[in-house]
Amino acid sequence: MNPYILATLLFGLGLGTTITFASSHWLLAWMGLEINTLAIIPLMAQHHHPRAVEATTKYFLTQATAAAMLLFASTTNAWLTGQWDIQQMSHPLPITLITLALALKIGLAPVHSWLPEVLQGLDLTTGLILSTWQKLAPFALLLQLQPANSTILIILGLTSTLVGGWGGLNQTQLRKILAYSSIAHLGWMILVLQFSPSLTLLTLLTYLIMTSSTFLVFKLNKSTNINMLATSWAKAPALTALTPLILLSLGGLPPLTGFMPKWLILQELAKQDLAPTATLAAMSALLSLYFYLRLSYAMALTMSPNNLTGMTPWRLQSSQLTLPLAISTMATLLLLPLTPAAVALLTL
Amino acid sequence: MTPVHFAFSSAFILGLTGLAFHRTHLLSALLCLEGMMLSLFIALSLWTLQLDSTNFSAAPMLLLAFSACEASAGLALLVATARTHGTDRLQSLNLLQC
Repeated sequence: MNPYILATLLFGLGLGTTITFASSHWLLAWMGLEINTLAIIPLMAQHHHPRAVEATTKYFLTQATAAAMLLFASTTNAWLTGQWDIQQMSHPLPITLITLALALKIGLAPVHSWLPEVLQGLDLTTGLILSTWQKLAPFALLLQLQPANSTILIILGLTSTLVGGWGGLNQTQLRKILAYSSIAHLGWMILVLQFSPSLTLLTLLTYLIMTSSTFLVFKLNKSTNINMLATSWAKAPALTALTPLILLSLGGLPPLTGFMPKWLILQELAKQDLAPTATLAAMSALLSLYFYLRLSYAMALTMSPNNLTGMTPWRLQSSQLTLPLAISTMATLLLLPLTPAAVALLTL
Repeated sequence: MTPVHFAFSSAFILGLTGLAFHRTHLLSALLCLEGMMLSLFIALSLWTLQLDSTNFSAAPMLLLAFSACEASAGLALLVATARTHGTDRLQSLNLLQC
């Protein structure tokens, strides 16, 4: 893509999220979300491949619907309560509508069905931007709401963790697996939103780091399904040894970083007398863990018998910048001892 | 609920239902999206009368600008879909199922 156009689009992406972060008026927040959507559409469709165009169309329709619902809910709130401030919302109906609109924006179950297909149609870099950067602005808005009806958030959260776990079990395409993993992690974030927004922020940040590592690993191996992962031992042996740890961190096993949010969320849910909810969420994490284990097994614990050509790939010098991968991998694996500092810093 | 509130709410909900349940053409989905934006435009324009003040008069124009950009992006995607899939029928958008 022309570097000037690429720079403009990336600037637009940054601008949209920044506007939403900085806004206290719902109209400005909506404008930031629209700028984000409009800026990423050309990035998604840049290859003009039929799958990319189809993914872009589906993404556009869902995001435009969600943004329109958001503006309708804030207009209804204005007509019912007389003001447009984000932090002063008090009427339950607009708050519920906004929660559903933002759930559609980020891809929570039960309005999640666009996410696997859209992520499947994109290349790994754009998929990375979609999974990480595009979640920041809607969460900035979600963190500022005080929901009147506590049941809806718990239902959204539990449904998302279960759907994310079950949906990913039958997938062989890596981007769809990452989409279902995203749905499951978003479910965990929403589960604790009303009790401790700072834990939601912590979960979001650790999820961003872990997903970035995974996407960057797949980009380095140029692999998009499980069979292609099986030859990564020949391309980057050290990374092939580390990637199971990254995947287990996504699954939430101690002593890796991914354990931190799950542990703190389960503790918070137990403090709020929601032990059955906590148990169900913890059990659903096992489903996700199964397909992460399957990926680790295919990648590092077996030599593939599928080498029909019989040739392992050449270990050529890859021209990809590996510094982001190195930083995010270290953060994905080693940040658990910093839990007290993280909890103390992220007070909302 | 005032009659004005009921009017734009029902217009929006009808457009949203049309967008959610469109079955044949992508263009009808885009039209329903435009209908939803139009109902929001009317809501913001009448907000001035509700408040009896003109502080917020620029809001409908801002919404119109953004919804025009969004509509043109949607139409560009319609053209792209017609180029890659040959038609804008939604049944043909099935490449990403597996």
